[in-house]
Amino acid sequence: MAITIFAFVLLLYVVVGAFIARYVKNSDDFYTMGGRGSTLLIVGTLAATYLSAATLLGIAGQSYAEGPLVIATLGSFGAWLGTLLAVVYVGRKMKALNCKTMPDFFDKRFNNKWVSIIAIIIMIVGLVGYGVIQFIGAGLVLSEITGINFQLLIVLFTVALIAFTAFGGMYGVVVTDTIMFFTMLAISIIIAPMIIGQAGFEQMKGLSEVMPNYWTIGGTEERSIGWSVSQFLVWILFFACMPALVSRVFPAKNDFVILKTAIIGVFFAPFMQLTVFIAAGGMQVLEPNITPTDNAMIVGFMEFTPPAIAGVGLAALMASIMSTASTLFVLVGFALSRDLYERLFEKELNEKQSLSAARIGQLIVAIVICAIALLRPSAIYWISIYAGSIFAVGWLPTIVASFEWKKMNSKAASTSMIAGVASFIIFGELIRAGIMTLPTGVDELMLALFVSVATLIVSALVTKPTTYELNYFVEMKRTGMAKLTIQEFLSQPDGLQKIKKQYRQLITISVLFTFISVVVWGYFFIKLGF
Amino acid sequence: MNVEVLILFINATLVTVISSIVVIVILKKQYLPVIKEMEKKEDEEVDAHKENITSNF
Repeated sequence: MAITIFAFVLLLYVVVGAFIARYVKNSDDFYTMGGRGSTLLIVGTLAATYLSAATLLGIAGQSYAEGPLVIATLGSFGAWLGTLLAVVYVGRKMKALNCKTMPDFFDKRFNNKWVSIIAIIIMIVGLVGYGVIQFIGAGLVLSEITGINFQLLIVLFTVALIAFTAFGGMYGVVVTDTIMFFTMLAISIIIAPMIIGQAGFEQMKGLSEVMPNYWTIGGTEERSIGWSVSQFLVWILFFACMPALVSRVFPAKNDFVILKTAIIGVFFAPFMQLTVFIAAGGMQVLEPNITPTDNAMIVGFMEFTPPAIAGVGLAALMASIMSTASTLFVLVGFALSRDLYERLFEKELNEKQSLSAARIGQLIVAIVICAIALLRPSAIYWISIYAGSIFAVGWLPTIVASFEWKKMNSKAASTSMIAGVASFIIFGELIRAGIMTLPTGVDELMLALFVSVATLIVSALVTKPTTYELNYFVEMKRTGMAKLTIQEFLSQPDGLQKIKKQYRQLITISVLFTFISVVVWGYFFIKLGF
Repeated sequence: MNVEVLILFINATLVTVISSIVVIVILKKQYLPVIKEMEKKEDEEVDAHKENITSNF
C-alpha cells in the first residue's frame, strides 16, 4: 500500500505541475502567481508549509517520549506567534513594497550590492541547511516504510519536484500545497481523534503515574523553564522572518486575503500541530515502546487506523515532505535566478528570458540538493545546527530596523548581519567544545541576537544613511497594503460596497475563529486538565 | 486542575485571539476612516443631487 500511495502522490504533483505550467505566462506568474492568490490558496500554502516533516516525525516523537507539553506549551507557541508576525508584519509590509522575494526587500531598501550578497548567502545557507536535513531525515523514514531504496526515493522525489517547481514556480507550489493541506488536515480531524479515542483521555492522563512529569512543561526529562523560554524565543524569532512563511504572503490577491490568512492560517498552526502532539501522547498509551520515537505517528497511522485512513496519513506525511522540499527548491531557485543572476549581475532580460532563467535556476538547485541528499556530506549536518536560527540572528534585527528606523543604513545592515551570524556560530562552537558555558535558560541565539542588535545600533549611530536610503524610508512609510487595496477596490464599480463587504467578512471571521478556538481548546482542557 | 495543561490551551487560544485583535485594529485604523469618509462623500453627493433637483423645480 505504501508504494502505491507514494506513486500516487508523486504522480499527482507531476500532473498538477504540468497543468499549472499552462497558466505561467511570465516571470510574475512564476515568482508570485501574478498576485492572484485567493484566501483558500494562501491559507492552504501557509498551513501546509507550517506543518513540516519535522512536526510529524521529530517533534511528534519528542512529544511521545517526553510529553506533549514539552515543545508545544512555549516552543510551539513562539512558532505560532512568529507565523502571525511573518504574515501580518513582515510579509504584509514587503508585499506592499512589491517584493517578489525576501532579498528583493534588502535590494530595494539599501540599493547596496554587499547587503544584497550577504542577505542572499544567509538565505541560501539557511534554507539549504534547514531543508535538506529534513528532506534526508524524512526520506530515510519513508524508505523504511515503502521499502524503496533511499537513493532511488530521493531521485524520484527530485524528478517530481522538478516537474512542478521548474514549470509552475510559486504557482505550482501554492496549488499543490493547498491540495495537500486537506490531506494534512485529515491527520488533525480524523487520524488524531481516532488515536486519542482508542487511547482514552483518562488513560492518557494516567501516564503521569508511570512516567512522572509526563503532563508538565518540563516533561519526563525535567527540562528547566529557562530551556522552554529559550525555545519560545528561538521559534518566535525564527518564524517571524522565515522566508518559507513570509514569501507565502507575496502571491496574495490583496490585503483582505492577507488579513484573512492572518486569522485562518494562524488558527491552523496550533490546530494541526497540537492535535498531532496530543495524539502522540495517545500513542504512548497504545504502544509504549516505539523506537525510534520519530516513528510514533507512523505506527499510529499503520496500526491504529483502517487501511484507507492509514493511506491518507502516509500521503499527508509525503505531502509534508514535498511541501518542505518544494519550498526549499523554489526559494533557493528564486535566489539564484532573480536575486543573484538578474539583480546582482544586472542582467537585462526580457520576459521570456527571465522565465527561462527562473526555470534553469530551479533545475540547478534541484540537481545540487539531490546530490547533497544522496551524498550526505558531514558539512551539511554541521550547517543544519545553525541553519534555522541564522534568519533570527542575521535577518530579523535588520528587517525590523529597516521598517522602523530612519537612521538605518547599509553599513549597519551588513555589519549587523555578519556580526549576528558569526557570533552565533562562534558561541555555538565554543559551547560545544566546552570552552564556554552559559547560565541555564540562556543560549547562543540570545547572545548572538544581542550582538546583532548592539552592532546594528552602534553602526547606525556612527554612520549616516544615504539620500537614497532616506528617500526610500519616507516612500516606504507612505506605502501600505491598506492604501493599495483601497485604491484597487475604489477603481472598480461599487468599490466602496466591496470594501464594506470585506470589512464585515473579516469581523465575522475574527469572531468565528475565536469562538472555534475557545471551543476546541476548551474541550481538550476539560478532558486533559482535570 | 493541571495548571500547565491550562497554560498550553490558553496559549493555543490566545494565538487566535491575538490575530483577531490585530486584524480588527488594522481594520479600525486603516479602513474604517476611509469607509466613513467615502460614505460622507457619497451622502454629500446625494444631498447635492437632491438640492439640484429641488432648485430645478
